[in-house]
Amino acid sequence: MALAARQAPPAQAPAARAGGRGRLAWLRASSRRLTGERSFLRYATGVAALLPLLALVGIVAILAAKAWPAMKLNGAGFFWRSVWDPGNTYGAPVKTDGVLHPVGAHYGALPLIVGTLASSAIAVLFAVPLSIGAALAVVEKLPRRASHVLGMFLELLAGIPSVVFGLWGILTLGPVLSRDVYPAVASIMPDVPVLRFFRGDTGYGEGLMTAGLVLGVMIIPIVAATTRDLLRQVPVLTKEGAAALGMSDWEVASKVSIPWVRAGMIGASVLGLARALGETMAVAMVSGSLLGTVPANLYGKMGTIASTIVQQLDGAFSDGTGFAVRTLAEFALLLAVITLLTNIAARLLVRKVAATALPVGRGV
Amino acid sequence: MTSVRAPATAAPRRADVPAIVEAGIRGVSMQVQDLALGFGSATVLSGLDLEVRRGEITALIGPTGSGKTTFLRSLNRMNDKVAKHWHRGDVLLNGASIYAPGAQLMALRRRVGMVFQRPNPFPMSIAANILAGVKAHRIAGKEHYRDIVEARLREVGLWDAVSNRLNSSPFSLSGGQQQLLCLARALAIGPEVLLLDEPTSSLDPVTTENIEAMARSLVPALTVVIVTHNLGQARRISDRTVFFYQGKMVECAETAQLFEDPREPETARYVTGRMG
Repeated sequence: MALAARQAPPAQAPAARAGGRGRLAWLRASSRRLTGERSFLRYATGVAALLPLLALVGIVAILAAKAWPAMKLNGAGFFWRSVWDPGNTYGAPVKTDGVLHPVGAHYGALPLIVGTLASSAIAVLFAVPLSIGAALAVVEKLPRRASHVLGMFLELLAGIPSVVFGLWGILTLGPVLSRDVYPAVASIMPDVPVLRFFRGDTGYGEGLMTAGLVLGVMIIPIVAATTRDLLRQVPVLTKEGAAALGMSDWEVASKVSIPWVRAGMIGASVLGLARALGETMAVAMVSGSLLGTVPANLYGKMGTIASTIVQQLDGAFSDGTGFAVRTLAEFALLLAVITLLTNIAARLLVRKVAATALPVGRGV
Repeated sequence: MTSVRAPATAAPRRADVPAIVEAGIRGVSMQVQDLALGFGSATVLSGLDLEVRRGEITALIGPTGSGKTTFLRSLNRMNDKVAKHWHRGDVLLNGASIYAPGAQLMALRRRVGMVFQRPNPFPMSIAANILAGVKAHRIAGKEHYRDIVEARLREVGLWDAVSNRLNSSPFSLSGGQQQLLCLARALAIGPEVLLLDEPTSSLDPVTTENIEAMARSLVPALTVVIVTHNLGQARRISDRTVFFYQGKMVECAETAQLFEDPREPETARYVTGRMG
């Protein structure tokens, strides 16, 4: 419409003749005058707009088609079984319900679902408070130059390949934590629900906690940068209002600034969560790659869906029946669904929170 | 301040205080002594001496950029956080310097409240807005919260409009109602002095009239300092008016006198509309 408007000189616009309804009539007329070039533009933008939808539907559909035989055979029990048995890939394959598979092939997803959700939860719980602190420091406390430098480091951190994080996790962070931190934490934790998982064997640094913390460090740049941009949008007048009421800097931040951006904060956390859920390489390196068993405590070896897919793919190709690959496709589909559900949940949460918090409507 | 904390026997008795000192303390709420302030290399205000009288409304008028808002913000130290802020001279509240080392900033802001140019409700419920300062200063226990909210909203005439939605967002209120809410919020912590920074500049005439009437009703219990671009407003509500021009205080007088018989030629030009 902007194009059409620019080309039609105001004097020729029928608006002057048609009076009150003129504007609409003129718009309609100008849209009839669409030339071929402009209608091409319209279709091109339409296709571009549909592309993300087509990509999503396409990927899910192809995965589902690929995974369908595995879904049939693994059944609903797939989601709560703790087992990983590719079966006898050297023996003669058998056919069950029309699906060819090696004898004794048996898969369950529970350990990987738990591993994926738990490691990502640790990552978010670790990264979000730190990110808020970093963002508050950058926006409120640090002098301009220092906040520039910190912002630059955040962006650099975001650009480091995940394999580097993985290597750091397995060579440095894991050993240090398992030697100096985990035993101390495990020894002081009481035997009560939730905290119980902090007790027990602390291992050698490969496992759920280390994976979660490495993931946490990896998502800090995303969450912190988003939070920083959000906090910059909190109106000075509102913050001054809080300060003028005699609130301390901490109270201004916690009672006013952070609530002001809380809907956006949830969005930022979900961005980080989505990255953590799907992160593959770093987790594959520090998780300990345990299959078929839910870790007994927070330090136990584990695997996530993404890390297991990449680690098992090579072996899966040695299954001549293709059943192992189809099962991995089922895992991939499961991961896509988990990520999707997380996003939807976040959207609902944002809507609910925004209803009471954000200045919508007649904000001055 | 120190005498309050001293044992009762050591505190000077009222009768011992010379009558003239007592009168002075009672009459002057805030005293500005040779104040100069600015940001970086810029000097915004200089050579300011002023007494803000207790229980009166003092209006600060002057063209844009004359430094009246900056001055107002120096009375509760809101300039402190502005980059490269500096000041010389002093401001006394009840005879004690608010800039003295060890002066409690939070306590100062409890005693000197402020309402801003535009409504600035916090992102919390209407009731929580009223209670924000009450909670920050731990003024009252939880059991009093309901009463405080109702009393303050009634005080600003907002109770009937919002009593059925105390827990909803303040951003659904009109601009005028939001400003009244901010006024109620400032009053809830029981300040001695209330600073109003062009509180009606974004409001309609009816709400403006409302707020003016409210300001009048606050004195003499409170001391009010108001910055306004609206000369009619200064004339209507203030007891004394101070005219600022180019970072200096040109004239300070009883409102009627300043408007009808100004001493200084600049004041005359401003109040008669020949300079704005």
